[in-house]
Amino acid sequence: MIEFVFLLPLVAGGAALALPASMGRMLLCISALLHFQLTLMSWMGKLTPAFPQFFSASPEGLLILLVTSFIFVCISIYSFSYMNESEVENKPVFCCCMLLFLGTMSMVTLSEHPIVLWISIEATTLVSAPLIFIHRSKEALEATWKYVLICSVGIALALLGCFFVTLAMDLGNIDAPLSFTSLNNVATQLDPVWLKAGFIFVVIGFGTKMGLAPMHTWLPDAHSQAPSPASALLSGALLNCAFLGIYKMHVLMNVAGLGDFSGNVLIGFGLASMLVGGVFIIGQPDYKRMLAYSSIKNMGVISFGIGIGGFAMYGAFLHLIHHSLLKSSLFLSAGNILLGFGTKRVQGVGNIISRMPKTFVSFFAGFIGITGLPPFGLFISEVVIVIGAFQQHRYISVALFLFALILVAAGAGRIFMAMSFSDNNRKILVKEKTLRLAAPYILLFASVTLCIWMPDAIYIAITDAIQTIGGAIHG
Amino acid sequence: MINITELILVVTLLSVLLSLGSTRLMVLVRIMALQGVMVSLTPLFLKSHASLDSGAIIFFQIMTLIKGLLIPGLLYMAVKRVKIQREIEPFIGYHASILSGLVIIIISVFITNNLRLSLPEGHSMVLITAITTMASGFFLMMARTKAITQVIGYLMLENGIYLIGTALTDHRHTIYVVEFGVLLDLLVGVMVMGIILHNINSAFSDVDTTLLGRLKD
Repeated sequence: MIEFVFLLPLVAGGAALALPASMGRMLLCISALLHFQLTLMSWMGKLTPAFPQFFSASPEGLLILLVTSFIFVCISIYSFSYMNESEVENKPVFCCCMLLFLGTMSMVTLSEHPIVLWISIEATTLVSAPLIFIHRSKEALEATWKYVLICSVGIALALLGCFFVTLAMDLGNIDAPLSFTSLNNVATQLDPVWLKAGFIFVVIGFGTKMGLAPMHTWLPDAHSQAPSPASALLSGALLNCAFLGIYKMHVLMNVAGLGDFSGNVLIGFGLASMLVGGVFIIGQPDYKRMLAYSSIKNMGVISFGIGIGGFAMYGAFLHLIHHSLLKSSLFLSAGNILLGFGTKRVQGVGNIISRMPKTFVSFFAGFIGITGLPPFGLFISEVVIVIGAFQQHRYISVALFLFALILVAAGAGRIFMAMSFSDNNRKILVKEKTLRLAAPYILLFASVTLCIWMPDAIYIAITDAIQTIGGAIHG
Repeated sequence: MINITELILVVTLLSVLLSLGSTRLMVLVRIMALQGVMVSLTPLFLKSHASLDSGAIIFFQIMTLIKGLLIPGLLYMAVKRVKIQREIEPFIGYHASILSGLVIIIISVFITNNLRLSLPEGHSMVLITAITTMASGFFLMMARTKAITQVIGYLMLENGIYLIGTALTDHRHTIYVVEFGVLLDLLVGVMVMGIILHNINSAFSDVDTTLLGRLKD
């Protein structure tokens, strides 16, 4: 039963609410490891869905599930130490919501029915809102309010998009069950006008959740106010899940012969997000917000790559994997810095290289990775996307793409340099701890490893995921 | 003979216009209760839905209870709790809001006529009402500053989406699609609970979202 993958964390989350905080931490780690094991088992095909009309294991879903599960293991190790040292007021709620968040995200990755997908994405909003509000400050309240309100509007519009897809089925006189597989089988008979309308609404709806500009406004606030493990999870896992919803619709559009339309929409949103990310990173006074804008930019890159199609789609999926690894590593390092210096302002932090040398290594390596420099994976994925775009002769888009990349690298570079090397005499509040350092190191190491040696299973999963809509390695 | 569907739709449209023009929050909550009942009754009177089974009827009953009683009840509690009577200083004035509401109706008629859908009889009226409700909900969210009025705007947006769902789809595939719109009420409930349970109120001693301006670039 593949449903165990999301049932396990949901049940564990409920249990965490009843347990005392010290047991909750243990439960968090154990559930994370068990979840990882279940994920690996579903990769090996040992688990079959009990309700195949609602849940199934698609290659793209499994890929995102693996990334989510791996990141969650690292984050749970980090939280084990973090929860003791930071003033998380309500620890059982924190554990509970982290686990429920994992469960709902796993449900997104496994869903086969559009409405199940929609419900699970709505559920992620509900269970992650308490995580953002956990510090109970005025700023946290504002961020949570914005997050819930803006994402709710997005979710409502996505539901409207789902209505339009069913309308396209009605108008085409199709009597098939409503699931992604059966929709793909009958795609050519669907009414194209309403399918297009549905796609637009789904992109706007789930794009809100994914952080595509101009619907991104909740993202920097939520990411900067949430405690660092939750920010890492929001950025590294939640955005991918929302992307999955858009990707499934994009596949449907392609099979229905409307791939050019949906591709252009995605390219437009992608470039807009990259430029917004680039513009707001420059001179950003808050380093967690800076990381959030970098997430917006990277979601733009993924959307751009998928929109271009062909070879670039391979790059987009690589980008998704490596962005999740690197960005969650960076948020965890940022959490260490926040604990050490006690401020989110860039100006309050300095001289990390001598004050917190071990954190400096992971933080700076993360910076090198996120700006797309070797030996980390974003270098490869961005090169692949650019090559893919050149193959499609989209020279203006490539020019904008590269411009945005330079903008982000320059803006982020200044902030990282200032934080790492400028003078600062503050007292370090909380010392570096091995557990809190191990997690970002593991994530960085995973990204480097995947560049040198990618397991065949992952390679095959990516090619399977992009094959249906004409993506190929030898494009 | 009086066409009940059209009567319901007219009441819905009037409730939209009233909500755009009302200054008192208590009145607004009552209007929303009326609108919720009307919206959840609409599918029962549409002709193509005549062959409803017992499960569907129970569902509509629950829907009516949630939209007409539960959510307005929560809103009522929230208004009592935060002790504000009226919306002061909206971004867009009340007369201008009503005028915008009328413009939205005209645009909705225009959109519906231009869609050239072969809708069953009576459904085009539903679609006009639905688009108006949805657009006015958006308008209310943008034009008002209080958190609670924004939630009411969201509720209206959601009512509109539910109406669009019932207008556009016949009940072949969609018995399990349109009905899930009720989950959006869950979000509304959570937002209202957020207001009620100390937070937005006690943190600002007011529920004015213009005060939510600390986080920006």
